[in-house]
Amino acid sequence: MVRYSYFPGCNLKTNAKGFEETAIAVSKKLSAELVEIPNWNCCGTVHTLSTDNMMRRIAPVRVLSRSRKHIDTLDEETPNEVVTLCSMCNSTLKIVNDEVKHDHDKLEKVNYQLEEDDEIYKEDMEVKHFLEILRDKIGFENIAKNVVNPLKGLKISPYYGCMLLHPDKAAIDDVEMPSVLEYLVESLGAEVVDSPFFKLCCGSYQIVDEDRIVDSQVTKIVEAARKRGANALVVACPLCAYNIDHQQKILKEKVPGKLPLPVFYFTQLMALALGVPLKLNHFEDHHINPKPLLKELGLSGGKK
Amino acid sequence: MSKTQIKEKEENETPMVKVYIMGSSHEVPASLTIMKAIEYAGFKIKRGAGCRAGFCGACATVYRKAGDYRIYAALACQTQVEDGMVLTQLPFVPAPKAKYDINKLSPTGNTILQFYPEVARCLSCNACSKVCPQDIHVMDYVQYSLQGQIKKAAEESFDCVQCGLCTIRCPAEIPQYHVATLVRRLHGKYEMKSPDTLEARVEEIEAGFYEEGFNELMKLSKDELRHKYFHERDFIDQKKA
Amino acid sequence: MSFEYIKFGKEEKDFIEKIEEISGQNVYSCYQCGKCSAGCAFSSYMDKTVNQLIHLIQVGQKERVLAANTHWVCASCLTCSVRCPREIDVAALMEAVREYQLREEPEKVKISNIPKEVLDKLPNIALVSNFRKKTE
Repeated sequence: MVRYSYFPGCNLKTNAKGFEETAIAVSKKLSAELVEIPNWNCCGTVHTLSTDNMMRRIAPVRVLSRSRKHIDTLDEETPNEVVTLCSMCNSTLKIVNDEVKHDHDKLEKVNYQLEEDDEIYKEDMEVKHFLEILRDKIGFENIAKNVVNPLKGLKISPYYGCMLLHPDKAAIDDVEMPSVLEYLVESLGAEVVDSPFFKLCCGSYQIVDEDRIVDSQVTKIVEAARKRGANALVVACPLCAYNIDHQQKILKEKVPGKLPLPVFYFTQLMALALGVPLKLNHFEDHHINPKPLLKELGLSGGKK
Repeated sequence: MSKTQIKEKEENETPMVKVYIMGSSHEVPASLTIMKAIEYAGFKIKRGAGCRAGFCGACATVYRKAGDYRIYAALACQTQVEDGMVLTQLPFVPAPKAKYDINKLSPTGNTILQFYPEVARCLSCNACSKVCPQDIHVMDYVQYSLQGQIKKAAEESFDCVQCGLCTIRCPAEIPQYHVATLVRRLHGKYEMKSPDTLEARVEEIEAGFYEEGFNELMKLSKDELRHKYFHERDFIDQKKA
Repeated sequence: MSFEYIKFGKEEKDFIEKIEEISGQNVYSCYQCGKCSAGCAFSSYMDKTVNQLIHLIQVGQKERVLAANTHWVCASCLTCSVRCPREIDVAALMEAVREYQLREEPEKVKISNIPKEVLDKLPNIALVSNFRKKTE
């Protein structure tokens, strides 16, 4: 069992509990256990695109430094990698890591702050999204071998969102034609439904004060998937999940009649297929309840 | 001996240090705390002094040392003076507390964000922890509050004396000690188990268990009370209770 | 066809220099191909499209740039940056305009005015990212 230093990110303990708990359970089954960093701080969710704002680079570098210390307490096989589940964390940590490795002036300035807390960053970490671990270290064939409950009948449209693939340096796959979620869904026995809006931005943080923008994005994304025969979406980011899930509920009340599509985290699909107890999915936190669909397809059996 | 002679005698014998209070220099005995040194120099502290025992958080002091650019902070009643200290007191930290009814809340991260949404601005810069006179990991408990980990936040912030130094230094303008108060109240009320002994005692009181004893006490004269207090030390007849 | 005469003096040059300094990008690299605006998911909400805003920056029209809503509607999805054929980090230019404004007026979104019901249900990831982009 290889253990990885795992960085949850602020949402994984609240709205996205299901994402985290299924991920940890699934990771244990696949011999790649996710172990949480004991004293992690928020990475900032978005990385600053300005050259001169050092304050906003402190948080992500501190995460890298704390993860490095955490790795020292794990076993020798643990690589110098911090693994994230949240796509926004993936992008932010990767970009800031790259920035400070190439611009030592920036690294020095940030380290001035971290020095007093005995947490300087020594440029010795890499950042990985859990999907990269699944694809590169474990392999989809291995995942398929562990499936006890193939997800027949689920027609999933993969929704990457922007942060898994943007910017170039943070992309975990080809920026315009990614395939990692498609391969994952197929290895779990479900059907893939392609959609041209697989990375049309969901609106992200505009949900706070300009939610009309999110409404129109969500409508486009869901319509494109529904038109092509999908009965569910799969995502890798808690903000995308909230935006698409919650706004569909709002829209359903405004435009009754159109059936909403439930939104799954990729680890929830894996949990269903690999036979992990159903309650770890925390479907009660979802705004569009996926249970009726699962019941209809006979997939809500949980642990066999 | 005249007053000035006594003072001279003291100054010749006790080691003295030079500190700067509100910009002007004063010679004070080296063994004094900052608070006593300020009073020795002739100032009367009206705000910025309280319990004098490191518990109330009133005497938050910010200082630099001569030749050192760094900012230091301490509780004046608990810290000894050093030569070259340049001192100022914080008589008040402007951080209005949010109004809430603790009985109507739930112990979640969203509750914290409702009343203190600025918590989402935390930059993880750690300026707060560095200035805390109680050595609390302030940034860590703010992060735990943001993450919705109420129990961890409550435990981490336990030693807080609400001096306000963290709030003054925070670039994201978060009132950390108010957030901590809300977190501890939520944890105490909704998550911690109430001690059985406390519940039992409250029931006893509400059942009128101690009424008779108190009524007896109230009827006593001042002399009888004095006698009871100094000589008997047993307010309620244990056999009757 | 109509023409407008604009001034291009020190004030305009200072503005361009500041935007370039904050973003680290050469604003004159842009040759107005429009690919950024074409791929932008939020173009329909913008009063000036992304490439139009960049052109205004190129001619130093500070008032018009700051009056546009382009950079506030932007959700930092970075699609423009990955598609620019001149490899300009277009999103960084948008961020530079935001920062330019925020460093004068630090609160685009008034945190104290967000209704409590909204704060009660929004996930913290939304609030943290919103405050990072719209407050200083």
